[in-house]
Amino acid sequence: MNKKAYYGEYGGQFVSESLMNTLNEIDAAFEEAIRDPKFIEQYNYYLKQYVGRETPLYLAERLSEKYGTKIYLKREDLNHTGAHKINNVIGQILLAKRMGKKKIIAETGAGQHGVATATGAALFNMECTVYMGKEDVKRQALNVMRMEMLGAKVVSVESGSNTLKDATNEAIRTWAKTAEDTFYIIGSAIGPYPYPKMVKEFQSVISREAKKQHMEAEGRLPDVVMACVGGGSNSIGMFADFIDEPGVELIGVEAAGKGIDTNEHAASMSKGRPGVLHGTRSYLLQDEDGNVQLAHSISAGLDYPGVGPEHAYLHDTGRAKYVPITDTEAMDALMELTQTEGIIPAIESAHAMAYAFKKAKEMTPEQSMIICLSGRGDKDVNTISDYLAGKGYLN
Amino acid sequence: MNRIEYRLNTLKEKNEKAFITYITAGLPDMETTAKIIKAQEDVDVIELGIPFSDPIADGPVIQQASFEAIQGGASLNKTLELMKKLRTEGVDKPILFMLYYNTIVGRGIENFVSACREAGVDGLIVPDLPLEEQENLQNALKGDDTTILIQLVSPVSKERIPKILEGARGFVYCVSSMGVTGQAADFHREVMDYLKSVKAVSKIPVMMGFGIREAEDVCPMKDIIDGAIVGSHFINIMRKAGFDPAAAKEYTAKFKSELNAM
Repeated sequence: MNKKAYYGEYGGQFVSESLMNTLNEIDAAFEEAIRDPKFIEQYNYYLKQYVGRETPLYLAERLSEKYGTKIYLKREDLNHTGAHKINNVIGQILLAKRMGKKKIIAETGAGQHGVATATGAALFNMECTVYMGKEDVKRQALNVMRMEMLGAKVVSVESGSNTLKDATNEAIRTWAKTAEDTFYIIGSAIGPYPYPKMVKEFQSVISREAKKQHMEAEGRLPDVVMACVGGGSNSIGMFADFIDEPGVELIGVEAAGKGIDTNEHAASMSKGRPGVLHGTRSYLLQDEDGNVQLAHSISAGLDYPGVGPEHAYLHDTGRAKYVPITDTEAMDALMELTQTEGIIPAIESAHAMAYAFKKAKEMTPEQSMIICLSGRGDKDVNTISDYLAGKGYLN
Repeated sequence: MNRIEYRLNTLKEKNEKAFITYITAGLPDMETTAKIIKAQEDVDVIELGIPFSDPIADGPVIQQASFEAIQGGASLNKTLELMKKLRTEGVDKPILFMLYYNTIVGRGIENFVSACREAGVDGLIVPDLPLEEQENLQNALKGDDTTILIQLVSPVSKERIPKILEGARGFVYCVSSMGVTGQAADFHREVMDYLKSVKAVSKIPVMMGFGIREAEDVCPMKDIIDGAIVGSHFINIMRKAGFDPAAAKEYTAKFKSELNAM
């Protein structure tokens, strides 16, 4: 057992033998890169000049007043391409180039990670293929168009449930075939080691900035830090610099879909049990035979049956708390943020907002919380419109 | 002695090559699976695939087979029942399970291993369980020869090969190409060197699988390998024949005789 691949009993490298040398090569290259000041300088350069960092830590004035505590929003929605996903893509694509790879592949659900990867591929002139479930290709046509405009090839995956889980399976299969010249950019905090570590490293810029910004604004650490959790990339980035600050309460918000007592949710931590999927051991929605169950959430980005292994560890050790928020609660919070602060959030991020409003009620005016506003809601306008018209939604 | 090891040793003494087939359990149903197993008189070892929802090491043919089998109600428990029944009926052929790790951990490792021993499962192939992650399963398998873990190596395993073969049991499964099961006989460009490098250090039979359809596909490497494994192509043949056990008998008899006539 490779101990460093584990977070407690979670993580590992559950892949076929043909990928083991590849993982070891990536691990070595990654560890070397993050210790190389030139690499870090390059990464920071693109984050600043291309992505548009640092992103603001905005004190939501009207919400703070309404809920009687300080509500800060970490504005990842203001990044280029509209979400936090690009932070990780820039890091991994620079690593891929450094390793001499010419081609990149990625999986995508809603299309945000796919668009971010296609963007990076255009910027760095690399051949890019994005795997996307047939269902998601249908319901996220706009993002498919964006990826194709950016020069990426979008492969519609027809197997199993035709969604993110299956797109990830297909990306892993292709990777096993082509790893000799192809780098797989995983967008979530999942996958075999060192992927969860890489994603955390490249997303931790969120909490590094937020910690500094909060100190400047308040002269102290926040009391609560919160983010939505699907696979867990924005949340692990939001938690990273606060994990060793015991005074800061960490809260991850899972998608409860139509309710965690129904069969339609994506609450792997609340309702799943440990299992192995996509190369890692973590909490997983599965049936008694160990077959993976379909997840459901109104937000495609949280519609995943597993969760990153470090989250499973933070959950078990009690360092972070994970709570469920339903589709309806998320949509109510989305409208409230839109109409109170003039910010249309991604439905994913609206899950974190919904729990923030609950949590705020037990906090005082002197206390403060930071919520990661992981993405903007433009991509969700069709879903929101169908929802508001009472038509339900595709999924 | 373990059934697989006994069978392969016997072949070695007779200077014969081994032939292994793969079918997905419960495709189209468990009863037919039992008939297909029994019909393959000339096959040396049968690989029985336990269908899983996310078979990442498999190509389209076995993916579809798993999907249909699950839809038809196939599961680990039902396959274990089938095994017990076959053993009671006197089927003595070496049979191993090809399954994904979550199926094992879902059941509980210790519990899974005792169920396999009880049902007469001779070996396990777990394609998403590389050497580094095998400790828990190997500990549970220790001390009893009934069920053994088969090791896989790939064309890019290189310096990992000796480490993987250390203590390997039964046979070593050489994956002939990069990627997943069921691609056309499009072996890795360095397949001969790779197979030789495995053979050079292996104390156990070297079996080649992935992308093999007919015995002639492995003719170029007949002096290196000890046998061949056919999966996706066998499923295609069964499908075309409407899962008629006679077709299984015919195909496997022909393959095995051609393999030994090379």
